[in-house]
Amino acid sequence: MRTYDVVIVGGGVVGCAIARRLSLTRATVALLEAASDVGEGASKGNSGIATCGAETTPGTLESELILASAHGWEALCAALDTPFERIGTLSLALTADEEARLPHMLAEAKANGVAAEIVSGAEARRLEPLVTPDVRAALHVPGDGIIDPIRLTVGYAELAARNGADIRRSTRVTGAQRDGDRVTVLDTTAGPVGARFVVNAAGVEADTVAALAGGAELSSWPRHGQAWLLDRELGRHFAKSVGGIPDEVTRGVYVTPTTNRSVLVGPTARNHDDRDDRRTDAETLDAIMERGRRLVPSIAPERAIKVFAANRPAGDPVYRVERDATIANLVHAAAIRSTGVSSSPAVAELVRALLEEAGAPVGEDRPDATLALLPLPRLLGHPHPEALVAVDPRYGQVICACEQVTAAEIAAAFAMRVPPRTLDAVRKRTRATGGRCQGAFCQAGVSFLCSAYGGMRPEEVWPA
Amino acid sequence: MAGVTVAIVGAGVTGLACAAELGRDAVVVDRIPVCGGVLGFDHDATRRLEEAARTAGAALHLGETAITWDGAELVAMGQDGVRRIRADALVIAAGARPRNRAELRIDGDRPHGVVSATVACHLAETGVVVGRRPAIVGDGDWARRADAELRHAGAEPIRVRGRALAVRGTTRVAELVCDDGVVACDAVVLAHGLVPLRNVDGAVVDGVRTVYAQPCPDRGAIATAEEEGRRAAGAALAIMRAT
Repeated sequence: MRTYDVVIVGGGVVGCAIARRLSLTRATVALLEAASDVGEGASKGNSGIATCGAETTPGTLESELILASAHGWEALCAALDTPFERIGTLSLALTADEEARLPHMLAEAKANGVAAEIVSGAEARRLEPLVTPDVRAALHVPGDGIIDPIRLTVGYAELAARNGADIRRSTRVTGAQRDGDRVTVLDTTAGPVGARFVVNAAGVEADTVAALAGGAELSSWPRHGQAWLLDRELGRHFAKSVGGIPDEVTRGVYVTPTTNRSVLVGPTARNHDDRDDRRTDAETLDAIMERGRRLVPSIAPERAIKVFAANRPAGDPVYRVERDATIANLVHAAAIRSTGVSSSPAVAELVRALLEEAGAPVGEDRPDATLALLPLPRLLGHPHPEALVAVDPRYGQVICACEQVTAAEIAAAFAMRVPPRTLDAVRKRTRATGGRCQGAFCQAGVSFLCSAYGGMRPEEVWPA
Repeated sequence: MAGVTVAIVGAGVTGLACAAELGRDAVVVDRIPVCGGVLGFDHDATRRLEEAARTAGAALHLGETAITWDGAELVAMGQDGVRRIRADALVIAAGARPRNRAELRIDGDRPHGVVSATVACHLAETGVVVGRRPAIVGDGDWARRADAELRHAGAEPIRVRGRALAVRGTTRVAELVCDDGVVACDAVVLAHGLVPLRNVDGAVVDGVRTVYAQPCPDRGAIATAEEEGRRAAGAALAIMRAT
């Protein structure tokens, strides 16, 4: 059994961000993820917006961590080969009541030190011609960005692995052994793992992990959200993320381009207690589309490429990023709700500081740590494909025609330190099968490349 | 590439018929390294039309995937690199595919094992089955073909008659809920409806100087596809003349 200085439980965006941060220090690090890949929970099912914090409640830990993360996205995403564009958000007021709420939203943004402005309906339509002519006014937050949350999560994990962190997937924590007030060993479905310090970043399962470790009772539950993804043909026309005016319960439905220029319409927010429930239903999806069309009338279900649902963590209170009250070597990064992507860099830094305070050897960064991944050029949207083919002729072999994913890109995915082990994991790293035909014309070809580049047997790719 | 005036995406019956009509004015690209598309390279109609297109002087670049069109240039990628084809008009004759899950509005869980009939057939041909008891949604050519090929590969497929509403199952497909009952199954094969396959950026919807020739017939309707190809040739010539 190997013993690590720090063992992180949970391979979502938060756990992977922590793994990356700690991998820059002298500590030995392992990350344990129950699923077959990182980013299989809330992190692959969110709206892909990196908010700069305009709408957070001033003075809260959530607000503080989002604001601390907001300025670093360009540099961080460049280092993690993750698409990011600071395109800005328009929150549309369609009624007099909603318009009356704008000054409060502006004041909140100002209190957070975030640049924002109230614009007229005409100005909103100039900034984003696709929005409804019914817009009366809008809050414009130019600092909000769109990000690929899956590539971010995978990028965090990959950089951590390059720096020696063990990213152990298909490894579910089933119990913990203690010595007094310290956890010493985590029992897992893949055998015991020794731990000098433990980080609980288990997302919707954070309460379970806290209980297994004998730590504080966390009050957390899943919040179910459904969304549509529409064709790139629509998304390439978008200039802004478009939202409504939030009410007491939810931020509401967005109509936002993703970084690959699909259009995401959603999500909903429904509290429930079934962590495995990722169902979509027609009634909810129709309601989302109707709400989305009030903001951007030209979107249509006919251009859907996919619908999905995910469970994001919810809690009371939210953002439990703290040392456990009884277990001396346990740090929680729990109840990090839908803003987890936006706060993940600062959450990771805070967890590092908490671990240092608890005595973990994470106070000093290694001078030899790798700080950036080599960016992998991709064919889609590339201005000069000839240059790609000159470097690697496999760029000429387009496997997924919808998303223009080539054999070179799929080969590169399998050359990662955190390589794909399923077709879905190939999609998460390359977008292959993720386009308008949803794999109808490439899923077989991608499976064959899983065998060619990944050494997977067909029955592993297609388990019976 | 001097003399080229119409670029054609797709070397199936429609694209070949279009190319045969246009002769030296036509350049055809297809991502598959042989002609025929869904009909197959060894079909009589494929052989006849490929011969006609080549005899008329059309250029065929097979095994090359068209990726972008800007109204004047088609870019295609292949084993030999990048091909840039200057053209006055573009004909999309890329055929059709079964509807995807979102287009069919099949809700419910999202486990592994919900696949297009195209994928199920392709894998079955290599001896891999997507499930032991796959439910097949749809009643056209793709459904019949998936049924036959999965059976041949050793599976026991179930043809679904009702409208599929929702998938149940957390990691694997467990059942398919239809409007006339619940089907126990371990995979779902989507073979319902045909929609045009359009993957050239700039020509997905309303491309500039673009003619769409995608009649979406079942495989019996070769004559319809040929006629559509000839119609597209006329439409492309009209675009060229208007220039």
